[in-house]
Amino acid sequence: MACRIMILAEHEDGAVKEISFELLGLAHRLAGQAGWKADTDIKALLLGQGADELAKTLVERGAAEVIYAEGAAVAHYTGDGYRRVVEAVIREESPELVLIGHTPNGWDVAPLVAAGLDVPLATGCSNIRLEGGKARFVRKAFNGKFVHEVEIERASPLMATVDKGVADPVSTHIKGTVRKIDAPVAEGGLRARFVEIKKGVSGGVDLTQAQIIVAGGRGVGAPEKLDVIRELAQALGGQVGASRAVTDAGWLPHEHQIGSSGVTVHPKLYLAAGISGAIQHVAGMKGSGYIVAFNKDADAPIFGVADVGVVGDLFEYLPALTRAVKEAKGGRL
Amino acid sequence: MKSLVLVKHVPDSNSPFRINGSANWIDDANLSFVLNDYDRYALEELLALKDAGKVSEVVALTVGPAAATSALRTCLATGADRAIHVKDEALAGCDPLSLAKVIKTAIQNEGFSLVLAGLQADDDNHTQVGALVARLLDWPCATATLRLSLQGDDTVRVERELENNRLQVVDLKLPAVVTVQTGINTPRYASLKGIMAAKKKEIRTVALGDLGLDAGTVGGSAARMKTVRFAPPPKGKGAEMLEGSPDEVAKELLKRIRERTGVI
Repeated sequence: MACRIMILAEHEDGAVKEISFELLGLAHRLAGQAGWKADTDIKALLLGQGADELAKTLVERGAAEVIYAEGAAVAHYTGDGYRRVVEAVIREESPELVLIGHTPNGWDVAPLVAAGLDVPLATGCSNIRLEGGKARFVRKAFNGKFVHEVEIERASPLMATVDKGVADPVSTHIKGTVRKIDAPVAEGGLRARFVEIKKGVSGGVDLTQAQIIVAGGRGVGAPEKLDVIRELAQALGGQVGASRAVTDAGWLPHEHQIGSSGVTVHPKLYLAAGISGAIQHVAGMKGSGYIVAFNKDADAPIFGVADVGVVGDLFEYLPALTRAVKEAKGGRL
Repeated sequence: MKSLVLVKHVPDSNSPFRINGSANWIDDANLSFVLNDYDRYALEELLALKDAGKVSEVVALTVGPAAATSALRTCLATGADRAIHVKDEALAGCDPLSLAKVIKTAIQNEGFSLVLAGLQADDDNHTQVGALVARLLDWPCATATLRLSLQGDDTVRVERELENNRLQVVDLKLPAVVTVQTGINTPRYASLKGIMAAKKKEIRTVALGDLGLDAGTVGGSAARMKTVRFAPPPKGKGAEMLEGSPDEVAKELLKRIRERTGVI
């Protein structure tokens, strides 16, 4: 029961995560490039317990077959539990390409599986191309300052983790099937034990619902200087966001952090000040409607995703914009 | 309990980067190098465990060229007890899996109970070497941790950072590998006393032959993942750049924000 492409699905709170559908969409595109048959060659692997309904949703989104590995040992994610099952299923199915999300659980399990199978792993891919019998993986280096393209040879399967939001899900007419198997792993044999999921401390800030966000980065320089961000946010009636550098340094609580490891936001207006635009940050804000970036470095990657950019001192440009906004609102603040 | 931190010597991220003549990486001439930021947090986590009497020894290991010794010196000056430098010209260009095989071989007989590493390196961003080493050793692993505590002498409890401000609490049986997210602690800086003391600490240099490894298997020439293109990112849709005095720019921005978003 071999297949060409296998994707590893992820789920949380009783729902399949969007990255899983994106991976299926990418798999369809790649099957087209390689001349493989999307209606038989693409499979999804789902692990869990009591997740039969989730398996069905993957069938509707482009998987010819969903292998649903069920067991108490994989009721919750652990690297040790997941990698044993994923490795065993890959050995059984011998896919040519394995796609995993570049997510906290994806980057946790993918290297464990790759090392177990003795194959290289291309991480954080924004694109993959299958051309002339070769596989090229497009990833980033230096936190997004460079595109790093790699080829993998003498390895089967080819393995990659793929960034969120780089592929579109597909809607297909494929009538896939679900095949349920017992997860080939016993709880007693694991050396990792799931304890609980904790929600981070929240001060009531919910950036995911914000229409306007003004975000500050390392370039702001010091915690007391964040007022320049707060004042513009207040004038605009928006929320204050931050890059990881700012929350790591303790200038703002973690809940303000936007990016792959923080929150993903979709405001109508996003202003980034003193944020270079590392991949981790861009992953969380590129879905914004209109992006304005201020940075002293004209080569900052943030200008690659912004609609409009200003190179200069944010302590001059932001207060000027704050004044202009207040004036435009005509004292209606 | 013996502990190890895996570290890397990387170009300072504020450096002006240029692409090298072979167009397969940056040109590292005239760049200043630093200890990888994530690794500073990993080191601090072990030094704090040592201060608390829970870890007896903190060892730092790197694989890299001669200049990478400076990353190890930083670790020693900050408080690590000794260091191991795997250095071999044949390793230039090796892929992460080969690198992990080298590290595994270098540490497998050292008796470490806890191995920490940064979540990723600021240069190649591979985000995999720590976990690869764990699997090669057949040890459990957890990545991107924001809290770590030893539970007795056989378990480490970690809190892994997930998406949307969530943490996963997981217990790993020792020995284990844990990779560390920035922000887990506040890394200390080397003191003058530390810098002086570091001069007397051991940095053991090891070549592939000393590990019984063959360049034809793990060296750069044997890499199965190879760089085929290295370039600046595409400008994407490309931002429209505004120039002028702050007031002029503010006026133009306001106009565009009104037209494009309707939020004002």
